[in-house]
Amino acid sequence: MANKAKLAVMGTAGETEGLSTQAFLAAIVETSDDAIYGKTLEGVILSWNHGAERMYGYAAAEIVGRPVSILVPPSSTDEVPQILEKLKRGERVDHFETVRVKKNGESFDVSLTVSPIRDVSGRIVGASTVARDITEQKRLREELTRRAKEILDVSTPVLQVWDGVVVAPFIGTLDTQRAQQFMECLLQRIVETNASVALLDVTGVPAIDTRTAQHLIETITSVRLLGAQAVLTGVRPAIAQTLAHLGINLADVVTRSSLSAGLRVALDVLNLKISSRDGEA
Amino acid sequence: MTNQSISVVRVRDTLMVTMPADPDDVTVVALQEEVLRAMERYRPKGLVLDISAVETLDSFFARTVTETSRMVTLMGGRTVIAGMRPSVAITATQLGLTLGGTMTALTVDRALNLLSDTRPRRRLR
Amino acid sequence: MTDLPQGNVPIKSENDIIAARKAVRDLATRLCFGVTDVTRIVTAASELARNVFLYAQAGVMRWSTLDANSSVGIELTFEDHGPGIPDVELAMKPGYGTSHGLGLGLPGAKRLMDEMEIHSEVGKGTSVTVRKWLRR
Repeated sequence: MANKAKLAVMGTAGETEGLSTQAFLAAIVETSDDAIYGKTLEGVILSWNHGAERMYGYAAAEIVGRPVSILVPPSSTDEVPQILEKLKRGERVDHFETVRVKKNGESFDVSLTVSPIRDVSGRIVGASTVARDITEQKRLREELTRRAKEILDVSTPVLQVWDGVVVAPFIGTLDTQRAQQFMECLLQRIVETNASVALLDVTGVPAIDTRTAQHLIETITSVRLLGAQAVLTGVRPAIAQTLAHLGINLADVVTRSSLSAGLRVALDVLNLKISSRDGEA
Repeated sequence: MTNQSISVVRVRDTLMVTMPADPDDVTVVALQEEVLRAMERYRPKGLVLDISAVETLDSFFARTVTETSRMVTLMGGRTVIAGMRPSVAITATQLGLTLGGTMTALTVDRALNLLSDTRPRRRLR
Repeated sequence: MTDLPQGNVPIKSENDIIAARKAVRDLATRLCFGVTDVTRIVTAASELARNVFLYAQAGVMRWSTLDANSSVGIELTFEDHGPGIPDVELAMKPGYGTSHGLGLGLPGAKRLMDEMEIHSEVGKGTSVTVRKWLRR
């Protein structure tokens, strides 16, 4: 999609199929929320859409003709020649996460996708960049990681981390009695907090024996029986291997290798819930 | 012998059945009959089985509930079991009872949400 | 040692399964077992009483309180003069149980309790004893 739009943006004379298509594609570029701009192989900006105006703060009139390097912070100036080199070879740069600078001097996180633009003969004549502001996404990701770390540091058996999510870290090897207590406590908390998701974190479990594995599986089954989603997090390859050797089928258990990844799943589930409520008449 | 009553209430398109605390076999069987009768009469699209008062869930109850749920499915509806107590969940798990994969929900409220959600359920991986 | 409470509940009809449950719930609660443990014991008793009724049509549940090693416990014995279990080992295999509707649910009951003993003779009858100790 973006590729076709770039052709229209470049407006290279003679190779368009028809004005209406070109105009149509140009309109798509113009109205897109993403920042889309075209540049020469030397990095001179040739076009600048509405989204780019909003994202970077420069009006099209004041930035067209200027080098793309004015958008790049001093710490990342190496990137520009590197990207242009790739483009000259006909390669695309996909979802490259980096930092750029707005007109007001503010730095922000972006994800860039840069594609080469070819003329009718196939010769690369320029490049087109689609930039997406990932400040929010990055912030969320960092917060998840931070929270995950917090959770692992705290010694409370079952923690409510968000509305509808509880986390229960398995600590070391549990004897039968503590395992039973743990299970009861977890289920009780799920009911009390009306949780939709329970994350069972085994990050802190170095080794897993038959009994612990059985407790784990029973806990997961009980959680699901109750009506909540169970996610097993922090599963390291060694643990997965042991569970497999014990003949435990993890196929229908949602697992993630890290707690923060598990939190992401939880958010996912909660979003689902929220949108389904919105969807009701 | 049974003076235990099952309450069956129709709420729009949904049938809400509430089980008493310690249902005996006769009551459990009556549950199935009541549900089938109501299914035939009202053709609801869903059944919510509220077991929040139930303290003992043995194999007989579990089997009957699973059967009932299958019958509801055959008649074009869906079943959600709501309000299972933690102690019951743990015991059922350790006893190996599965309820045949019937949907469960923490509360009656969530059960109703589940039933009115007509989008395909997304499986997380 | 003082006389410890004990008693029995005849199992001759479906109603008696309920009676057995109630008696066990009462006893386990009085012994101060936690909510979940009470549920476990009652459910195990329900399964084993049901076995008696289904396979032997008549039998009895004997209950008693245990006191040993500074802990208390509950002991239930289900006796009948039914057909007996031909292969106890097979009956104890996990998976051979309640889900099929044909099994005896013995592995499940064992999982819920701390100890289980089975004595059975084909043509003579069966006796299943289960115990659970209060965790201090």
